Amino acid sequence: MTEPTLVWDDVRITYAGGNVAVDGVSLEVERGGTVGLAGESGCGKSTLAMSVLRLLPRSARIEGRIVLQGEEVAGMTWGRLRAVRWTEAAIVFQGAMHSLNPVRQVRHQVAEALALHSTKEFPDSAARLRRVDELLALVDLTPAKGRAYPHELSGGQRQRVMIAMALACDPELIIADEPTTALDVVVQAQVLDVLNGLVRDRELTLVMISHDLAVLAAVCDRIVVMQDGRIVEQGKAQQILAAPTHEHTKELAAAFPIIGDPSSRLVVGRDPGSLSDHSSLSVSTSSTGGVVLEVRDLTVDFRSRGQHVRAVDHVDLSCGAGEIVALVGQSGSGKTTLARTILGLQKPTSGQVLHEGKPLPHRRAALKAYRRQVQYVLQDPTASLNPKHTVYEAVAEGIRIHGLDDERERVIRALTRAELTPPERFFAAIPQELSGGQRQRVVIAGALALDPTYLVADEPVASLDASVRGEILALLLQLRRDLGLGALVITHDLGLAWNIADRVVVMHRGQIVENGPVEQVLLDPQHDYTKSLLAVVPSKLGLR
Amino acid sequence: MTTSGQAAIRARRRARFTEVVREIASHPSALIGAGLLLLIVVLALLAPVLMPMDRLDVTKITAHGNESPSGGHWLGTDPSGRDVLGLLLWGSRASLLVGFSATAIAMVIGTVFGMAAGHFTGLTRAVVLRIIDFFLVVPSLVLAIVLSTVLSRGLSTIVIAIGVTSWAQTARVVRAQTLTIETRPYIERSRALGAGDRHIIGKHVLPAVMPLVMANTTLTVGSAIILESTLAFLGLGDPTTFSWGSMLKTALDTGAATAGYWWFVLAPGVAIVIVVLCFTLVGRALEAVLNPTLRSR
Repeated sequence: MTEPTLVWDDVRITYAGGNVAVDGVSLEVERGGTVGLAGESGCGKSTLAMSVLRLLPRSARIEGRIVLQGEEVAGMTWGRLRAVRWTEAAIVFQGAMHSLNPVRQVRHQVAEALALHSTKEFPDSAARLRRVDELLALVDLTPAKGRAYPHELSGGQRQRVMIAMALACDPELIIADEPTTALDVVVQAQVLDVLNGLVRDRELTLVMISHDLAVLAAVCDRIVVMQDGRIVEQGKAQQILAAPTHEHTKELAAAFPIIGDPSSRLVVGRDPGSLSDHSSLSVSTSSTGGVVLEVRDLTVDFRSRGQHVRAVDHVDLSCGAGEIVALVGQSGSGKTTLARTILGLQKPTSGQVLHEGKPLPHRRAALKAYRRQVQYVLQDPTASLNPKHTVYEAVAEGIRIHGLDDERERVIRALTRAELTPPERFFAAIPQELSGGQRQRVVIAGALALDPTYLVADEPVASLDASVRGEILALLLQLRRDLGLGALVITHDLGLAWNIADRVVVMHRGQIVENGPVEQVLLDPQHDYTKSLLAVVPSKLGLR
Repeated sequence: MTTSGQAAIRARRRARFTEVVREIASHPSALIGAGLLLLIVVLALLAPVLMPMDRLDVTKITAHGNESPSGGHWLGTDPSGRDVLGLLLWGSRASLLVGFSATAIAMVIGTVFGMAAGHFTGLTRAVVLRIIDFFLVVPSLVLAIVLSTVLSRGLSTIVIAIGVTSWAQTARVVRAQTLTIETRPYIERSRALGAGDRHIIGKHVLPAVMPLVMANTTLTVGSAIILESTLAFLGLGDPTTFSWGSMLKTALDTGAATAGYWWFVLAPGVAIVIVVLCFTLVGRALEAVLNPTLRSR
């Protein structure tokens, strides 16, 4: 039996203030093994992974033993630790944009690790740059891409540069911290493919962190589920995905539904029993309403560096009252531009947006009245709330802008509808004190305060934890049931469309390529692009 | 706005305020600076009590000119026999007054122009930016000299001259902050809620740039005091009021430094250094407290 690459032995990590991030975790990663750490934000999975290279803040206190390649991490000197970082174990960080220096070409940044750790093998910069080209080829990037600056690369390309960087010194162990979280499904599949290939060809040991079980299953043999700093379940990837035993694992698995599974259709949240009767009722009543929003032959062009980019290309779309429409596409497909144009935040180059049959007004006062009717929920609730404003101010903002009376009553009603109860308890809170899900509820409450007839939600759950995702989607369904409120939900997640939408609109390179009822589009896709999107859904990747 | 919501918000603001005060108090240099400043302001206000004006009246004084420091005159006397300590006390009033009010003018202009240059686009932005650039590149001392010769003589002219010439840096800083704030999604949300320019600037941009403006204020006060001294030293101030700058000018005119009357040169010079240093200390601490990314540096 060979010695395991990485061992955590009863590790306990405490932050200043007595906050226990990791609570007695014992785990072994055998040589060439692939282990996925799953769990929600705050469960300690990142802390556990960073502890391997002693990358935790000074305030963290580590108890227990961490053994890397037979050597105890706590006993390493600074010089030894520096050598171990990158040459034996390397990390792929979460936000590729933030981990790259924006003012240097990426190949020089990859070469940096070589210059620091492998001066013997690659003595001069020409040799190092040759090696960089090899590394980039490993992750399917051409040498020309190496001469690009980070902002010139797409998210997936940047993430692949990060992986190339991690591979620079031929490490035994790679720790990937949410490597695909900010990427859309197609790019995610590409990055996972690259990781898979590397693990297979170079016999790397991989520890991958993610909140998405399906993503982990696509790469890892073994999955470890953590909650509150403890391991609650571990086992073979397929077994965890197919037959989870622990409650928390079930929750995580349920958040990423299998398309085509009728039990997750129009049912989300923790209490499916009570919801399903109502929502199935509402489906039959919802489609009877008239058309609220209509887009006719809409085109939006951007000019960047002298080039015309067509973000939205002759799009026709209509949304009925009380109808939930999912607008699906990759990032860069023009989804958000379409949404912003519908809201009058972006001027169309040609074509029209109609609200209840009337074209969108250009005058400020009229546009303001229109914006009372159609509300916007943004992707990242943390960023879309002013950090200095209390919940009360955030919800009352629209009411004040429109000079409505009964401010307090309206705020209470909006918060109650967004299920922040009792509303008075949240008045004085600032966004920082709330959880991600509560923040998104505040944003939704701010929209509801104006009694809108339609919601436009741009990736409303993309930045939220798995279990919270279910809650927010359940809220959207419930608002539709109670208030007849329709929504245009923009997403890259086909599972979400399966969860809540009545109709799916697939957008590709500014054009709508497929449009129809959810069951029809997702179960019997006609267009090639829809088929390719469905092929890369993580839940299918894992089964491949 | 109703009572409970308002009360909650007020309580939060109060809590935030005490937090800021506690943070500042944890910077010893800021405490020293603030303490000294308070002392200087109190002394300036008490000048008429501590040193009645008639003791500085050339027709009534008995001391000789250029007496060195002694028990009677702690800081000696000037060429016409006036007590230097008295001049210093009275001079602090003009210096501080000019420093504060010129800074107030500069901050208001700078904030308004900075926010306008950051918020608006197209022609408005181009025009505002060119105006800022103009004031940025014209040497402020030269401009202040021109302004104070063109306008009538007096303290208010000095205030205006300094105020109008020292806002451009603030405007640039405010514009930069405005630009970063404007890209935040909460501005987009606000727009989608129907907000106009006034709402966005008033509710989101102004509160966000205020900490920067506050920190900039303390730093500008220092340079305004120096500029006032410079103008007075060049003989452009109001000859009827004492200020630290005009003391230095008298010292130059009478050759005090070359004649070895060090007390008459050093006293106003050191006073200027101390006040400017105090404002800088407080300003740096305030910047560190209000801008958390500077903490621990």
